[in-house]
Amino acid sequence: MIETVPLLVDAGAVFDASVLFDASVGLVDLPFRPGYIESIIGVSLSVSLTAVALSTLVGLPVALAVGFTEFPGKRLVVALINTGMGLPSVVVGLLVLFAVSNAGPLGSLDLVFTREAMVISQFVLATPVVTGVSLAAVTGVDDGLRDVAHAMGGTRLDVALATISEARSGIATAILAGLGRAISEVGSVLIVGGNIVRADGTSVTRTLTTAIQLEARQGRFEIALLLGGVLVALVLVINGVVLRLGGRRY
Amino acid sequence: MAHATAHHRRRARSTGISLSNVSHGFGRTTVLEDVSLRVDRGETLALIGPSGTGKTTLLRLVACFEPPVAGDIRFENEDPWSLSTADRLAARRRLGMVFQEPTLFDTTVRRNVSYGLRLRVGWRERLRRWVTRLVDTPSMPAVDEALETVGLTAAAGRPADSLSGGEAQRVAFARALAPNPDFLLLDEPTSDLDPRNTAVIEQAIGTASDDGLGVVIATHDMQQAERVADRVAVLLDGRLIEVGSTDAVFTDPDDRRTRRFITGELIY
Repeated sequence: MIETVPLLVDAGAVFDASVLFDASVGLVDLPFRPGYIESIIGVSLSVSLTAVALSTLVGLPVALAVGFTEFPGKRLVVALINTGMGLPSVVVGLLVLFAVSNAGPLGSLDLVFTREAMVISQFVLATPVVTGVSLAAVTGVDDGLRDVAHAMGGTRLDVALATISEARSGIATAILAGLGRAISEVGSVLIVGGNIVRADGTSVTRTLTTAIQLEARQGRFEIALLLGGVLVALVLVINGVVLRLGGRRY
Repeated sequence: MAHATAHHRRRARSTGISLSNVSHGFGRTTVLEDVSLRVDRGETLALIGPSGTGKTTLLRLVACFEPPVAGDIRFENEDPWSLSTADRLAARRRLGMVFQEPTLFDTTVRRNVSYGLRLRVGWRERLRRWVTRLVDTPSMPAVDEALETVGLTAAAGRPADSLSGGEAQRVAFARALAPNPDFLLLDEPTSDLDPRNTAVIEQAIGTASDDGLGVVIATHDMQQAERVADRVAVLLDGRLIEVGSTDAVFTDPDDRRTRRFITGELIY
């Protein structure tokens, strides 16, 4: 027997969770055109993975440079990085929208409501996270290991690589934290992406999160929950892969 | 054969490391003052003195962690800090160093010991080895030989974090030995070890010296200095107060403070 679980979603409205398991609605009979779900998963993954890859390419060297060197204003730089971890996503979305709009510095690139603009906004959001957590990871590596790498005839690059290798678990966590920030983000991608689908029903700039937001706003909570489950499953799989790679010791 | 000949030629070219009027400090604190010293290949020099007297700083200067504030350090009559980056790297790679703390990389014993050898090949070869390692563990005779020297052949495949402190220090010694350096710099390598592991390290120092390596060992263990060293240099408050053969320094030191330090009267 299926138990009905009432969920309070709005004043006076009740969501019946049993519809998720009800054959008359069904998990297979989704009210979308073929390819819709796949396309929003594809957009979510491509935008977030691209943004986090770029964030890692920028954030990791910055973390190494800040972690390894002493310079005037270092504490200020670290404070700025840490502050960046808490940037409100809608503010970032607005700033990126201004930047890519016709009057903005990137206006000539015609990026308004494109995946590229979404990548830019997620990059801005994820980079401080990747940098800050990586910084904590590399500064946590025993100084003695860097001394060993140097004394064994290592170049600066060798010393950096040895540090990255020792901090790999923390760096994997940094990448995951950045990915979490990017893929779970709604505000900025909604502003700069526009949540657009093509005439054939496939996504242009709609992601899992903006689709969830849309479904919830239209009162289709069961679909929103289902998409939420897909998102959580995706994050779990990515976490497993990254932690497996980051934790591999030999 | 060709390898042996090249190896012999490299050895024959090596003469020694010399320090001339070396002074060093951090900020306003002077750690070393006007130290002149020389160590040749095939000899073991013990650097003795109380803790905090500049032994570690001296070894780190020799290992080119940083240039001395004054004076110069020469490898085969060449100042490494006047060389190009590539030449200085080549000079540095003729040294092996073991620290007081046996800091090992988070990998197997074999990978730790092969670290220096892996650094000494080009990036293309490194990439090839990285790919090869996905399917196979390549053997490295120098690694096997170094592990045999410290009696840890059977531990080659063990994770570094499964070792005891003594075993870890023996691995650190093998790691310094594997790239076949001309000189070994040992910074109190047995200060935290039990007698058995200490004996293994001291035996390995003897083997290295017999093989023609120059060894500088910083220690505050007088008996160890007597056991392993051909010559002894006594550092006190950053100054070198006496250098001489081990017998001479321990039986008839020139400096009154050396005698008091050796007998334990000079307490720091």
